[in-house]
Order: sequence, then C-alpha cells, then structure tokens
Amino acid sequence: MKINEIREILPFLIPLIVGELALLGVTLRHVLTHSHYKRGSRALWLIVVIVGMNFVGPILYWVLGKEEE
Amino acid sequence: MRAFLAFMKKEWMELVRTGKLWILLVVFVLFGIMNPAIAKLIPWMMEMFEESFAQMGMSISEVQVDALTSWGQFYKNVPMALVVFLLMFSGTMTSECQKGTLIPILTKGMERWKVVLAKTSMAIGMWTICYWMCYAITYGYNWYFWDNGIAHHPLFAAFCLYLAGTWLITLMLAASGFLKSNSAVLIAAGAVFLICYFAGMVPKFGTYLPTQLLGAGNLLSGAGKIEEYLWAIAVTGVLGILNLAVSVIEFDRKEI
Repeated sequence: MKINEIREILPFLIPLIVGELALLGVTLRHVLTHSHYKRGSRALWLIVVIVGMNFVGPILYWVLGKEEE
Repeated sequence: MRAFLAFMKKEWMELVRTGKLWILLVVFVLFGIMNPAIAKLIPWMMEMFEESFAQMGMSISEVQVDALTSWGQFYKNVPMALVVFLLMFSGTMTSECQKGTLIPILTKGMERWKVVLAKTSMAIGMWTICYWMCYAITYGYNWYFWDNGIAHHPLFAAFCLYLAGTWLITLMLAASGFLKSNSAVLIAAGAVFLICYFAGMVPKFGTYLPTQLLGAGNLLSGAGKIEEYLWAIAVTGVLGILNLAVSVIEFDRKEI
C-alpha cells in the first residue's frame, strides 16, 4: 500500500482504532470487576477479549459471557 | 431554580445510567463519519457496477466527488439520526407518568412547569450537542479531503435543519401532554409532521412551513436563496414556543 493510499483512509482508520480501544477498555474493566459470568471463567474471558480485541472478543463477551443482573 | 437544576441533574443521570447518552453519541459520531465515507466510496462503487450498467445500456462518465457530495449525504442521513433521537426521547414524559415516578417529586412541592421545562431543555440540549458534533465531524472530513469553500452558506443551511429538529422535539413534548403512551406520542408527532409535509407540496404555501427547512441542503450548491427560508424559520420558531406553552398547560391539567 502506498503512503498516499494510507493517507486517504487514515481519517477513517483513527476513529475505528479509538473505538476499538475504548470498547476493549470498557470490556476489560467489566470482566475484572465481575466475578461470575454466564459461562466460562475470568481467565478464559480475558484471553478471548484480548486475542479478539478487534471488536470480536468484546462483542462475544457482552453477548455470551456477561451475567444477567 | 434549585429544584429545576436538581431535576436537570436527575434527567442527566437517567441518560447516563440507561446508556442512552452513549448510544446517541455513538450514533451521531457514526453518522458524521459516514457522510464523507460514502462520498469516498461512490467512485469505487460506480467502477464495480460499471459493467452491469453497460449491459443495461447505460454508460457512466467519470464521477466527480467533492465536498457537496458529502454534504448531500449529510442532509440525507441526519433526518434518520433525528428519528433515532426522537425514538430515544419519545418516552421521556410518558414513561414517568406510567411508572408514577413523578408523584413523590410533585407532592413534595415541585412545580409542574419546572418538570416540563427541565425535560424540554434536556432534550433540546442533547439535540444541540449531538447535531453540531455530527456537523463538525462532517465539516472536518470535508475540509481534509476536499474544499468546503464550494458550499454556499453551510452554517445557515445546517441551522435550518437543526431548527426543524428542535421543532419536532417540542412537538413530541406537546403531544406528551395529551397522550399516555410513548408510541401514541410518536404517532401523533409523525402525523403532524406528515400533514405539514403534504401541505408543503402546495406551492407558495410550502415556504411558510417547518418542512421547508428540511430542504435547506439545496442552498449549498447555490440553488435557492437564504430569503426563501426566513419565513419558515420564523414560523418554526413561533410554533416551537407554542408547542412548549401547550405542553406546560396540558401537563398542568394532566392526572398523574
């Protein structure tokens, strides 16, 4: 990819990255401040969230792992 | 004043804790980014469909994309974001009446008009923040990729759409004075909007209606003059204040 092409999409890339990191932060905080999950354990969810940090991991956690209140 | 501010704070907490604040912010930021993104994608999409167009006997010349394309998307997409906003706020009055959460506050001596005013200011305040944030994002991207200079009166045109949104919000709150469920409120506000919309199709008459403001995006390309929108702005402002008055009076008479 040429530097020009990167400059073209950079303005769309930055918000994406910011959103990704924000979601990662919120999710990690939620995993660490809760001790019970619908399924899985804290270690499992930490791995899933960090490995799949480009939106997949956090979304999986909120859909499958977060305990109903 | 203290009661008013306390109620405002309660409204704010409600927005934060129900997660509505975050949803609104994300939606409006996304819409702001989407406008230039779609404009950027148009040439690429045209290229992809060129062959199938050619088979249908249509040929496409080079597509010219500039800030106006992106602004065009803005005026097409913001009404959708406005609908999301109205859906979020449609229950602000009715759900409290249904749950009876206003009773303890009102029996403690909080005046009713302060409740209405606090809810109205919260809704309009949120709309102001969300809308102008969306505008600023689109403006920033357009400035980076193209040149905003070719758009005529961008701020005035954006203000027209903003005012139309504000009018719809006050309309919804006025409807909340009469009606009990939030879906009824939405239907009533939608019905008034549709009446305005169809009435606006009558030539001459249309320039005096709030729906005229929705077409303010045409100003950007240099078509139309500012003067064509001044009457609509005046009428919309008056209607907004009337709506507010109606919601205060009706809420005063409402059984809770």
